[in-house]
Formats: sequence, structure tokens, C-alpha cells
Amino acid sequence: MIHIVDNPFLVLGISPDATRIEIEREAQKLLGMLELGFEAAKTYATPLGPRTRSSEAVRAAVAALRDPYQRLVAELWARHAPAATLAASHAEPVDELTATPGTRRALGWRP
Amino acid sequence: MAETPLYVGIDLGTTNSAAAVFDGERVSVVRNAQGATVTPSVVRIDKQGRITVGTRARRFIEQDPANTAAEFKRLMGTERAIEFPASGAKKKPEELSAEVLKALRQDIADQLGVEIERAVISVPALFELPQSAATSEAARLAGFQRVELLQEPIASALAAGWRADGDGAGTWLVFDLGGGTFDASLLETRDGLLRVVGHDGDNFLGGRDFDWAITEHLASQLAVVPSRKNPDHASALRALRLAAEDAKIELSRGDRAQVTLAQPLVIDGQDVEVDLELTRATVERLCTPLVDRAIEVCVRLLQSTGLGPGKLARVVLVGGPTVMPIVRQRVAARLETTIAEGHDPMTLVAQGAAIYAATAGLDGRAAHQSQTPGRQVWLQYPAVSSDLTPHVVGKFVGQSDEGAPAKVKLVRSDGGWSSPEATVAPDGTFLTTVTLLARRACTFEIEAYTTTGDRVPVSPSQITIVQGLTIGDPPLSRTLGVALANGHVQVYLERGAPLPARRTFTHHTVETIARGSSESVLRIPIVQGEMSQAHLCRLVGTLDIGGDVVKDTVPTGSPVEVTIELDRGGRLAARALVPIIGQVFEHVAHLLVPDAAPEALDSAIRDLRRQLMDLRTDAFRHGLTQVIEKLDRLEARLSEAERDIDAAHGGDADAAQRARRALLDVDATMADADLARKWPELEAASRQTAIGASSTVGLHGTEAERALLQEVLAAMDQARRDKDAPELERQMRLAQRLSSAAFNRTTEAWEWYFEDAASEMSRARDLPRAQRLVNDGKAAIDRGDTEELRRVVKALWNLLPEDSEARKRGFDSGVR
Repeated sequence: MIHIVDNPFLVLGISPDATRIEIEREAQKLLGMLELGFEAAKTYATPLGPRTRSSEAVRAAVAALRDPYQRLVAELWARHAPAATLAASHAEPVDELTATPGTRRALGWRP
Repeated sequence: MAETPLYVGIDLGTTNSAAAVFDGERVSVVRNAQGATVTPSVVRIDKQGRITVGTRARRFIEQDPANTAAEFKRLMGTERAIEFPASGAKKKPEELSAEVLKALRQDIADQLGVEIERAVISVPALFELPQSAATSEAARLAGFQRVELLQEPIASALAAGWRADGDGAGTWLVFDLGGGTFDASLLETRDGLLRVVGHDGDNFLGGRDFDWAITEHLASQLAVVPSRKNPDHASALRALRLAAEDAKIELSRGDRAQVTLAQPLVIDGQDVEVDLELTRATVERLCTPLVDRAIEVCVRLLQSTGLGPGKLARVVLVGGPTVMPIVRQRVAARLETTIAEGHDPMTLVAQGAAIYAATAGLDGRAAHQSQTPGRQVWLQYPAVSSDLTPHVVGKFVGQSDEGAPAKVKLVRSDGGWSSPEATVAPDGTFLTTVTLLARRACTFEIEAYTTTGDRVPVSPSQITIVQGLTIGDPPLSRTLGVALANGHVQVYLERGAPLPARRTFTHHTVETIARGSSESVLRIPIVQGEMSQAHLCRLVGTLDIGGDVVKDTVPTGSPVEVTIELDRGGRLAARALVPIIGQVFEHVAHLLVPDAAPEALDSAIRDLRRQLMDLRTDAFRHGLTQVIEKLDRLEARLSEAERDIDAAHGGDADAAQRARRALLDVDATMADADLARKWPELEAASRQTAIGASSTVGLHGTEAERALLQEVLAAMDQARRDKDAPELERQMRLAQRLSSAAFNRTTEAWEWYFEDAASEMSRARDLPRAQRLVNDGKAAIDRGDTEELRRVVKALWNLLPEDSEARKRGFDSGVR
């Protein structure tokens, strides 16, 4: 879920194609607007409805997008995630877990 | 009329300090009363209690060492007070630093005629939180109203990058070898934005180690050899060290130097004449291992970011010791790159700090608020912008007689550009964009008009934006978290997280806090470091909740919401909310660097030696050459630490701190080596993880989770090929997290957790309650109520005890 509603591109309200300069510019604008209490800046749209936008979230988003690897992940989620995860979170999966015996333990689940 | 802003940067160094000012276009270094650009960080207090700072104080180091303090920066954040017997004064390291800051502040006032109240002060990148807190305190004592701390490598990079020709794009390294610390930082400039790719360093490697190496060499040639272990030999060694320092500087140019002391040294009651010759070759031979140790750090940094040698655009050298030819040669050769020329290694950090003050909008003159008449407007804009067209956001507040502003226009003072008219919204807000001139400070006049086109005077009436290289929010240099009762760390803020930052997590108490009992204390240890095991991290503070302060008894398993907050300067605040009694606790206790008693160090090093032996035997048996090499390096570091511990026995607090740090590093590296030894096991486990994760994520994962797992699996392959154990562990954790996320979505997962927890019920702290929970759980499974089952399982986990050994390693943490 975290990548869905906290996706840096959503927090900043920009497309995954945005250039680095555009990201910085948008973040600086949003931080200014939040500081002065602009209504329009206080929320942002997500596939799960509007969320509160804080200046911490904006700073974290822009910092994430400065890192090439984190940006890649964010782009991936921004492009693929919404439909897939929404479907998954609504319907409880029905298939049996067919993993081989001992797998769970190997996966490091408790204990 | 707005005056030009004045931004101040201060480099508060171990040996020398410097200050610089920036006016938006030019940086200038502040000269002190002696006309020098650097001021020695030396403080002297004489019989009358008079305080002298800088060059005049340094003259007394030899004559009157007891009343002259130097290198106190290395003790910042410790409890140790420095005594000045002549006057009977006792000063904490931050109080001495404050004296240096006061002197610099006075120099700025003398030279520029301005009282400075705000500034940026640089600190080493690897400063721990207590050390940063002490620096802020020093600034407060020196009369600064507000300071921001900036990591030294970022400061040097900013200063070097600011002057770079063209776009200066590429990856570069700042090699900062100071008097007491070494920092290596890898930076990248792209699109006018400076980014820290990574940094590494050694908090206890610096020019003074070079001096000691030379001193020890000289000492070994004397008729009576003085020892650092013996407090009585301290004064002889000090005299020798000053001579060594001079000879070292002389040998940066010449080939030979004579080390002669006017007075014979008195060692064990004997007069010992000092008349020795030192050659450049000898000094280079003595210093090479230390230079190499710094280069090792750089190589490690380059490797960790996947950058091979020869891929660096350039290296910027910072710090006095980098003037030595041997340093320049070896760095250039080993890192296969060129050294950036034209920077003053002594003041670059201060210059960068001044530029950063502009970026942070921290004008040195706090009181400077031009009260022009007119409608009040609040403005938000970047004081420094790499973007040529940044946004300006504003809001009109208050009332005035001239009518409400409806349109706003910004006009650049060179007359070359003006913004389109922006409409003011009913709530007084507006948003516009300005166009800057490259690498210049641009001033804009703010023009506001009513609906009828009448000009409304506004206050402030103009703003200044500087175009140039910028740096985003300063990154956190070390991961910060809370040690848990099971000996692990709950990470709150990852290294590199932008500051300021705040995170909250809910923990649960592992024991009861009885009201009124002063013995029952719930401890929340705050640790810093990159390891997932608490004992390998450094304890930077604790938040204690005692039975004497709670309003009511807090039973085991109660939730505690812990919030950790860091400001831009890296100052820490922590808060714990205990919902069931509705109390908030925010007193973080003893934010200090732990004391390093020589006896404790002795026993620590004995333990480490024993472990090292075991590891070595094992590595030989399995023929793990890589591990053996690693262990050899550790051996060498231990021997070094041993020398420091000797000096610690002789009363050298600084050496004691250094030894403590070295032992921690060795301990951490040993854990890595241990990991490498378990390689075959780890490799097998990683394959199982991969199979398990593929199957779980394949069945229950979302499309994005599947895509991410592919990447993680590829990274695991790579780590297996590189035989990189820590990386493999990290990727395994990622894969496990992905599959847990997918698995936890199934009902069956919780049934399985439930059965597992139920099977350990006999160990539960509150057996009747556990029994009830197990019954509830069974009923929930029958009803198919997953939500309830999840609640039951979590409650059960809270009743199961933590291992006491593990808890000790977690700094006696009382939460999980």
C-alpha cells in the first residue's frame, strides 16, 4: 500500500516522466504553498481517494526521486500499481498456498 | 530599500577554524586580527582567568600546556571537563568551542561592521548526534541566535562546485583530511543540483596521527625513549611533537629537515639532547600507511556505489595535511583521477558553509527586517535556485487603506524582464514564476495593483534570488533507530533521509512499570549506525520512563508510541506517548558519547582478540583467503587501537575515544567476516528464499510486487556472484518482506502464525490471559474472522518473553 498512496509522483502531483528540474520546481512550489496555507496544496489525489499532503511528505518525495534507484521503483509503481493492487485489496485471495513444506520457515517467518 | 544579504559560514575545526561571508555573488574569507585566514582552535586561560584564543594562545602550548587547550573538538559531546589549574577554571569542550566561535564572530564584526546572529557551522559528516548537539550548544554560548549545522564534505563540495566552469557535471570525490577526522564524500552534480551519492570516513584519522607517527619515530631515536603510557613523559612528548609538526611542514618543500630543540628534554630525571635529522623519504614512509588508510576508505566508498577507479571526474582535496606532496601523489595515482586545482584547502569548508547559508535563507543579520510601509505580504521562494525559472508563492495578510491587491507583477531590477500578471485569489494568495540570470543574484521589485489598476505599496517591496548550484535538504549521515528488547534495531530514519525528518512507531513494553517504584524504569535506547543488531550501533541517547513519574502502573504489553525527530542541523528530539495513561515523556537522557575507561577498553580488546583468533582458525580450515585478508587488516587495526589504549592509560582522553571507536568498527567488521564464513549456509538459504518468495508472490502478489521481486532476485544473483554477504542478506530481507506482504494477505497466514504462537503458550507471561486469547483465536478461525484472528495473534506475541541475552545486547531496551 505504501507505494500506492505515498508514491512520490502522487505526492508531488506530477507525471512519472517529469524531469529532475520539474520535480525540484514543483516541490519548491508545494512547500511554499503549504507554508502559506494554500488550500489547494493541502491534499493530493490517489487511487484510494484524497490524502493529506504535509511538507515532510513533499521533502521525502523529492529526496526519493533524486535517488536513481528509488525513482525507478516509484516510476514502476506509478505506472503499474493502481489497478492491480486495488483489485487485490478488495478480493481476499481464494487459492490455497501451494508452497512446498518448510518454505515458510525458510522465508523467515516466526519463529 | 533592502540591503544586500550577508551569509556567514564557519568552519569550526579540530586544529584550525575559519569564517567566510557570501553576499549572493562573491565569497570572501574573513581575516582575523593577525591578518590570517585561519584561527588556531586553541584556548588559553591564565592565572587571572583571562581567555585568549587563536595564534596568541597557541604560543603557550609548549610553555604552559596545562592552561592551554587544543583539539577539544574531538571531545565534543563527552562529559569530560578540561581543567585550567592556574585559574581553577573547568570548561566543557563546547564552552571552549564557544570561545573560538566568539573570536570569529568578533573578527566578522571588526572587518564588516556587522553583528552576526545567525550562521552555518560545519561539522564532520560522521559526527554522531551528541557531538552535533554540543556544537549547537557552543554556538548558543557564543551568542548566536540561530545556527544550522552542515556536514563538512557538503560544504567543500558546494564551494568547489560553485566555482566549477561550465556545468561541472559528473561524479567527484571530496577528500577531506583534517587535523582530527577524515571524510570521503562522493558527489554528483547534474542540472545544477548537488547530490550526495554516499560518504564514508574515519572519525579518528587526521593530520595529528601523521604528527604522532613522526613523533614516535623521533622518540625512538633518543637516548631515553619516552612512552605515551607514562604521564610523566607527556611534556617531553609534547615538545617533540611540536618540533615534528614543524619538520613535517618544512618537508612539504625541502628534502631534509633538522629537528633541534633549544632546551634538552627531561625524561625520567635525565637531560636528553634532541638533535636529529629527518628526511622527506622517512616522513613519507611513516605517513604512507595512514594515507593508504584514507585511500582504503575512498576505495570502499567507490565500490559500495558501484563506481570503478578512473570513473571520477576529479578529487577535491581539503584540509591542511593534504598539502603534503605524498598525499596528492598517492590519491591521484590510486584513484586514477586528477586533483582539482585552485581551491584553498584551508578555507574551502568555511566558504561552502557561507554559500549554504544563502541556500537556507539564513541571513547573518537576524534583526534585519526592512519595515517599509505598505500591505504586508508573506513570500516563499528559494533564496538560491539552480532552476532558472523558480516559483514565487505569496499571501497578502492584514488590512490596509489602499484597497485590496488583485494583481501582482515581479520586475527584475536590471529592467530586462518582468513577470506576467498573477491574479490574487480571494484568500490573498498568489503564485507566479520568475526568470533568473545564470550565476547572478537577481533582485525583483514586487508590484501589486488593485482591480482598478492602482498601485498598492507592499512590504517587503523586493526579493533577491541567487542563481547557482544548490543542494537539497541535508541528508542524515547515519541511520537512526530504537534498540529493541530482542537485540535488533527498529529503524526510524534511514541514512540519507532528508532533514528535517520525523517518524513515529508503536512499540510494546516488555515489562511492567510499577507506579511509584523508582527501580522500575522502562528504557527506550536510541541508537545510530548501519547494523541491524543493536550492539553494533552506537547508543546516542535514552528515553527513560520511570515508575516515579508515571500516573499509573503501565502493564506489560502496553503500547508506546515513540516519535523521533531531527531538525535540519541534526538535533534530536524524542517523545514517547503511553496511551493507556495518556502521558507524554520527552526527556532524552545523557546524549553523550559513552565514556571510554581504559580498563573497559582493555577487556574489550581481549575479547576481540579471542574472537579474531577463532575466526582465523576457522577461515584457515576452510581456505577462505578473502576472509583471511580481511582479518589481517583487522589485526593491524587492533594493534593500532592497542597503542591508543596505552596512551589512554597515560591519561589521553582523546586517544581513549579513538580506541573505543576503532574497537566498535572492528567488532562490526568482524560480524561481516563472520557472515562471509557462513557463506555456504547463506547461499543455500538465499536459494530457498528465492524459491519461496517466487511461489508466494506468484500466487498472492500484485503485479507490482511481482515486478519488484524480479529485480530483487536479479540483485540476489549479482550478490551471489560477487560473494557479497551483507548485500545478499539485504536482498534476502527485501524478498522476505515482499513475500510476507503477499502471504499476510491470506487467511491461512494468520492461522499459521496463531498455531505457532499457541504452541509456545506455556512460556507466556500471563498464562490465564494467553489461555483466553488462544480460545478466542480458535473461535475466530471457526468463524473465519481474519480481523479478530490477527488481533489475537498480535496480542499473543506480546505475551511471549524476549531472551535476556538479546535484551542486554539491545542496551536493556524495554520495548519491542
